[in-house]
Amino acid sequence: MILWAVILFYALTGLFFITYLFWRKRPVVLFARGLFLASIAVHILLTLSLAGPAHRIPLASPVQAVNMMVLLASLVFIFFAFRRQTAVLGAFFLPVAGVALGMIAPRLQANGTTLPVMFQTWYPLHTVSVVAGEALFAVAFVVSVVYLIHEGIIRKGRLHWTAASLPPLRLLDRILSACLGTGFVAITAGMLFGALWASSLGVDLSQILMKIWAGAAMWLVFAFSLHQRFAIRWSGRRTALITIAGFLIMIILFVGVNMAYPGAHGAGLTR
Amino acid sequence: MNRLGCLSINHRSAPVEIREKVVLSPQDFRSLCSRGEEVYALTTCNRTEVYWIGIDEHALLKHMAWLSGVSGESLRGYCEIYQGQEAIRHLFMVASGLDSLIIGENQILGQVKDAYRQALAAGTTSTFLNKALHRTFRTAKRVRTETSIGRYPVSVASQAVELACHIFGDISAGPVLIIGAGDMAGIAARRLKDRGAGDLCIINRTFSAACDLAAELGGKPRSFSALKQELLRCAIVITSTGSPTPIITRAMMDDVMKQRRNEPMIIIDIAVPRDVEPEAGKCYNCYLYDIDALKTIVDKHISFRQEETDKALAIVSAEVERFARWAGSLDAQATIRDLFFLMDEYIASEMGANSLEPGHAAIVEQKLRSSLKRYLHRVASYLKEHPTLTNIEQTRRIFQLDEDYQDRHKG
Repeated sequence: MILWAVILFYALTGLFFITYLFWRKRPVVLFARGLFLASIAVHILLTLSLAGPAHRIPLASPVQAVNMMVLLASLVFIFFAFRRQTAVLGAFFLPVAGVALGMIAPRLQANGTTLPVMFQTWYPLHTVSVVAGEALFAVAFVVSVVYLIHEGIIRKGRLHWTAASLPPLRLLDRILSACLGTGFVAITAGMLFGALWASSLGVDLSQILMKIWAGAAMWLVFAFSLHQRFAIRWSGRRTALITIAGFLIMIILFVGVNMAYPGAHGAGLTR
Repeated sequence: MNRLGCLSINHRSAPVEIREKVVLSPQDFRSLCSRGEEVYALTTCNRTEVYWIGIDEHALLKHMAWLSGVSGESLRGYCEIYQGQEAIRHLFMVASGLDSLIIGENQILGQVKDAYRQALAAGTTSTFLNKALHRTFRTAKRVRTETSIGRYPVSVASQAVELACHIFGDISAGPVLIIGAGDMAGIAARRLKDRGAGDLCIINRTFSAACDLAAELGGKPRSFSALKQELLRCAIVITSTGSPTPIITRAMMDDVMKQRRNEPMIIIDIAVPRDVEPEAGKCYNCYLYDIDALKTIVDKHISFRQEETDKALAIVSAEVERFARWAGSLDAQATIRDLFFLMDEYIASEMGANSLEPGHAAIVEQKLRSSLKRYLHRVASYLKEHPTLTNIEQTRRIFQLDEDYQDRHKG
């Protein structure tokens, strides 16, 4: 029930931000901001309810991970929503957030039992870091899409469109850079924590080879993007394109890995 | 309201040779405003407008002819004359930029306000024109905020600023490079300065011309040999030289962008023939716009402004109607006042004609006054409720108020 309330709130907020994109009136954005705050409050309630009676971090399944990713990304976007120049970004993020939550809705449920002892040291650090990193990559993805749209508008000279008043390219590029940098650090830390966890359990790495390759591939894409940015200043369009590609690879790998290893890192590791 | 007149010499009605002679300020009309007359004069590069209350049109034209040195006959040929509501509509349209050469331009409102300050200082405006001008500011503000008429730039410099804002956020922080010191470059540089460009650098083949423009704008002159060095530093470049061959080539830009580490750059090339090789625009993070590209954008903006004109005209019409109601109530009050003066005069003449005893005379006068007041009160109430021009004119005609005043003035 509460999940559908969250989806409804996100959809409504998205609608207001889209309205603001085409009809720049202050009351519209004020209302959209208020709705966004309410959406996040309800979403936090939902996430807390997912912790279950054992009060575990609700990251026990891929579905819960997506829920957490959307919540963390929303917390980043609420910061943008209260800035005049970046408020319209909500129009691009919230529909995506609503769709993501709608897709996981049938399978989202609270945690049942408590974790075994072996899950209690590195596991929370691993999952929280990876999900935080992925949330930041999701933010970078949305910002990249907006960057490409705005650049297309500028190059074609369609500045008279109301929707052309998107955040300046330089600002979008800075946000993109900050999200990629922080997200990369979080993902790298998450992978290290995952490796430490696996090694502490004495896991046979051949059993989770696909997961390792998938993680490494995603890490390499974002590492390449950051390297190009800082080494030869690939700012702007190229970074945006790599980020979009990297995020899509991340989604494919996320779905693929979770199909290959169902049960929250479970089967292979707990054997 | 009908007493309001407007005389406009503008870009439609008169050539620049005439417009530049008829440059007037409110002080020039002080001599005409001795007995409650009001005058407001506005002069800009595209128009000279005079609005008046209570002055004879011919006398005003004569005065203007004397001030400008243009003969009265020919001056009349260059004038557009408006009366009453049409005059107030014209004023609202001028201040809203709807009568400007470039529809929706916003400089005019500042000029209207400046002229009003001068008129106040000269003491040439009073109740009616003061109210009219305050309504004008309100109308212009409504047009600007409730329509998008002034939202999109139509000049090259404003376009450059707009494009730069889309890329960099604002232009005040970054350095701006102007290549050339001719008319076009000068206009663009001045506009950029007006829009907040702080660090202006001017490069020209003739260094003295660069120095002159830089001195005028508080910028920094550089010799032509420093072009590449400045391209490395500046994110916004406007170029307008008379060079027959491109002065910025693709090879140069490749090198510049490499050294700038692909920091974004916008180049506005308004020169014909072009100063920048078109291929230079293909450099990564380099946004190049030539005069044709700008013209395409400007044309779109102009057509967009024209689309918004209907909305703006609706606002002007609503405000004119509102002002007409106010002016009507003002005229109605004057008519009511005249009616009661007429009543006083009638009573005085009736009482003077009769030789009653003082005690009886006072009673008769009181009775007469109260009866006439009751009678006139109905007329006054109706006029207050319906202060239309027709009602006011009919009342004045029925009671012969204007004739009475003329007779008395003659007397």
